[in-house]
Amino acid sequence: MKILVALKQVPHQDARLDVNGDGTWIKEDGIKFEINSYDTYALEEALRIKDAGEAEVVVISIGPDRVTQALRTALGMGADRAVHVNDDALVGSDSLGIAKTLAAIGKEESPDLVFMGLMSDDGNASAVPPMVAELMGLTSATGVLKAELSDGNVRVERELEGGALEVVDLPTPALLAVQSGLNQVRYASLKGIMAAKKKPIDVKTAADLGVADAVGSGGAKVKIEKVYQPPKGDGAELLEGSTDEIVTGLVNKIKELGLL
Amino acid sequence: MSTLIVTEIQKGAIREASYELVAFAQKIGGDYASLVIGSGVGDLATAFAGKGGGKTYVADDASLADYNVDGYNAAIQAAVAASGATTILVSNTPSGWDVAPRVAAALDAGFISDVFNHQDGNFVRRVFNGKLDAQVSAGGGTTVVTVQPGAIAPFEGSADGSTEALSVDTSGARAKFVETKVAEAKGVDLSKAEIIVSGGRGVGDPEKFPEVIQPLADALGGAMGASRPVVDAGWLPHEYQVGSSGQVVTPKLYVACGISGAIQHLVGMKGSNFIVAINKDADAPIFEVAQLGVVGDLFEIVPALTAAITAAKG
Repeated sequence: MKILVALKQVPHQDARLDVNGDGTWIKEDGIKFEINSYDTYALEEALRIKDAGEAEVVVISIGPDRVTQALRTALGMGADRAVHVNDDALVGSDSLGIAKTLAAIGKEESPDLVFMGLMSDDGNASAVPPMVAELMGLTSATGVLKAELSDGNVRVERELEGGALEVVDLPTPALLAVQSGLNQVRYASLKGIMAAKKKPIDVKTAADLGVADAVGSGGAKVKIEKVYQPPKGDGAELLEGSTDEIVTGLVNKIKELGLL
Repeated sequence: MSTLIVTEIQKGAIREASYELVAFAQKIGGDYASLVIGSGVGDLATAFAGKGGGKTYVADDASLADYNVDGYNAAIQAAVAASGATTILVSNTPSGWDVAPRVAAALDAGFISDVFNHQDGNFVRRVFNGKLDAQVSAGGGTTVVTVQPGAIAPFEGSADGSTEALSVDTSGARAKFVETKVAEAKGVDLSKAEIIVSGGRGVGDPEKFPEVIQPLADALGGAMGASRPVVDAGWLPHEYQVGSSGQVVTPKLYVACGISGAIQHLVGMKGSNFIVAINKDADAPIFEVAQLGVVGDLFEIVPALTAAITAAKG
């Protein structure tokens, strides 16, 4: 069995976000990056299948040199090899451009299963996984909280609103976009990190994958015109001062609400 | 310029979010048509057509009785072809976000998700879990757009409409619906609590919940809740989770400690009567829905508040 896991490196969830010079994204200089939280659950789910039987886990990612770090982490956790699309031509791609790039790798690899995260913590689009499935000709499910493999089938539980679940059977090969929390994600062990140094990372460009026309701002069908701090509404009245003063303010408000 | 509204049936009725799509289509401007997908849904489609849906295509087939990604994908593509629409609106719900990107990829179309407004010709959406907004423009071709439920008031009028049967070939569908499991009964029923004190990722450590958050909830005579990252990390069981995938709560007082305010959490608590937010990040979106805020260290404020409440109660 071969399992493909696509992961994205995103700004750390606690990183300070400043809008860049042309106002179309954030300044990336000097901030820490991490593997997108949803994608860590996707990788863990693939590694559990590998642990339970025989599987090759291939991780793929798109981005500049810094992405090597994310791929090394994934290899340290137990993935077998990596594909890194490192090409400035991809800067400015929209979701479809990214999906076409990942699907091109997917077609080369022909996996039995593809795992991805439901969404990214930066773009929040939830766009790429179903697109990759469509482009690879696979069926798919999103918001997956449970995946049970049997011969040629994967039974998934998808999260609906209010905690309800939808149970769906998908014939493999299939693509699953996982919801956070479906497993407990492992850490890379020291032994794993050492072993990862010998594992291969295959570097590719958009041209290698035949997607040069579909990527970058030139290939994008939608464009971010500007990003900005959400306009402040009335917002909260802020309590300031010493801890004592703040606590007094809070107690007074709770009294005023008739709750004390 | 023409728009296709993809409606959604929930519990035997066209859901409110579909009427919000009608309002959204009117806001964008131009002609629009609608699509109803299901089995035995002719009457629902006729009613929707007369309540703002306009010309309504009906993909009525036994194989579409329950949601399945491949069948719905085929139905939407058939309606796009029949209507000639260049903007396709889908609600950003669990079925909407499952199928809409596939439609976009199949049509080689642009895709913009979870938008909450249309302004200056652009679609407006949140990025970075609510910390920033983005305005996104559609190119010249076809664009699939998913719209955040509840972001815009639903269309409530009536208008002339008509229905047209749409033939859909679902023979290629591979995904098979098995069943829907309803949410399990909660050990912790936050929906009845008058006061809820919730902790988020900023609490930092599972041990701090019994040490810091629960005591304030106890002092106030309320219940403890949590945001999704806390539950995902295994610090508290799912029954404590407040948000779109957990419990939706409307207490008299909601105290959010170390919760930044991702949209899925806000959906679950913004209906609270009074919201207090304590967070070290002054830019946290939680301060936008709170009435009273403290920018500071919850580990200083919360224990001091617990002591003061306990003292006040004597």
